[in-house]
Amino acid sequence: MTGFKRMMGVSALALAAFLVGSAALAGTLENVKARGKLVVGVKNDYAPYGYLNDKGDVVGFEVSLAKYVAKELLGSEDKIELVPVVASNRIEFLTAGRIDAIFATLGVTAERTKVIDFTTEYVSAAGPSVLMAKEATISKWEELKGKSICGIQGSYYNKKMTEEFGINLVAFKTQPEAYRALKDNRCIGFVFDDMTLQQKLKEPDWASYKIAVAPYELLPMAGGLRKGDTEFHEAVDKAIGKAEAEGKLIAWETEFGMPHSDYIAARAKAAVAKKN
Amino acid sequence: MFGLDYSWLADPAYQQWLLTGVVNTLKLAVLSSSAAILIGMLGALGLTLRIFWLDALIELFVEVFRNTPPLLQMLFAYFTLSTLGLRVTDPSTGLSVPLLSAFACAAISLSLFGGALAIEAFRSGIETMPRSIIDAARSLGYGRWARFWRIEAPIATRICLPGLTNILTNLFKTTSQASVITVPELMYYAGQIYNDTFRTLEVMILVLLIYVVLVSILTFAMARLEAFMAFPGYGRVH
Repeated sequence: MTGFKRMMGVSALALAAFLVGSAALAGTLENVKARGKLVVGVKNDYAPYGYLNDKGDVVGFEVSLAKYVAKELLGSEDKIELVPVVASNRIEFLTAGRIDAIFATLGVTAERTKVIDFTTEYVSAAGPSVLMAKEATISKWEELKGKSICGIQGSYYNKKMTEEFGINLVAFKTQPEAYRALKDNRCIGFVFDDMTLQQKLKEPDWASYKIAVAPYELLPMAGGLRKGDTEFHEAVDKAIGKAEAEGKLIAWETEFGMPHSDYIAARAKAAVAKKN
Repeated sequence: MFGLDYSWLADPAYQQWLLTGVVNTLKLAVLSSSAAILIGMLGALGLTLRIFWLDALIELFVEVFRNTPPLLQMLFAYFTLSTLGLRVTDPSTGLSVPLLSAFACAAISLSLFGGALAIEAFRSGIETMPRSIIDAARSLGYGRWARFWRIEAPIATRICLPGLTNILTNLFKTTSQASVITVPELMYYAGQIYNDTFRTLEVMILVLLIYVVLVSILTFAMARLEAFMAFPGYGRVH
């Protein structure tokens, strides 16, 4: 019984720390200005959005955007701290106050809207697709019913894969294991973010593979902010809108080797129109 | 209560995941525990035979499987054995696929890991038995086998039960590592649920309670077994 009581005590303590922690975080804009530094969660393994260049610096489309926001808020794009995050911890990092904002390939989903606020959207990215051997005859999501498909634990679309498409999902912790398992024929395909799989296909090792099933959706991506922080939210949105109007997003597409998207061009046009 | 939000529990998909997770955790735990006890008994029996090469073999087995992390053993079974050629041709697709499924890899490696620990537990039971009992049995005319089955084994089993309980509870908790090789047990689904709902704390608390309940049932059963098997006046601390 004492063990149980102690366990409940520890849980309550952790909970209290969690609640106090989130209560002390109102007014990010004042905090950022007082600190003189914007702390942003970015990817460092995800070209072209956020990755390490040859010199070991974190660069990318979203990193440039984050720096632009820092410049708008604090006057210099160097007043920024880039914190590498991964998909499974970035929202925790934000809600726990470790970072002020997420600019890390964050897709806008209904579930996430319950927990965080999104900035204005700035990219429209393809959702998941399926990587399979070139010989594969499957080309539709519906044809994957009952098939063993590799995936990654915690991906936002996993529930849809099992519930809607009836896929037998074999989900790994990280990508290398999933690629290995696909080569081992433990699964007949790998469902993952289309942009990443496209990049993988460029490697010689994967020449005998193809994107067999195309993405079923385009998912807008946006920055993530803590809920209800209106002042900070408006300031960040204003900065992103300015970057769009100045054609910065198109320039970054060019700089980081992305195909020019109609989505970003249309947004830039709208932003300019709004400004005038 | 405390601002915790358990509304996600109403989702039938999550209910199904939790149920499947618990069932798979139990399957893995029961299977590997039974196999570990069997391996432990056979190994300890083998050691009492005092055959040189058999002793060496059992010692080697214990050293290898007790001294390496079970997580590594699982990954080895899952990825390396198939690379080394443990493969079959799947008749439905004609592809060469690994012989052992993820579940088989987890069950086998946990059985061997638990078995290595159980051999040591049973051995300690046999070795700590008072010499006077064996001498008494011998003086009463018991032969080698009769002595083992009727005197040594029953007493040694009782002595090693607390140690065995420790091993089994540990083995039960170690099943959670099987999520790394995609066995859909409780931790596997827990991770997916909190990644979907962002209710990390709530999911963790629930999963913690499920493990506490399941392991408590095991330790309770083992305590009852100990009480049931106790000799009056021997080996009980009260």
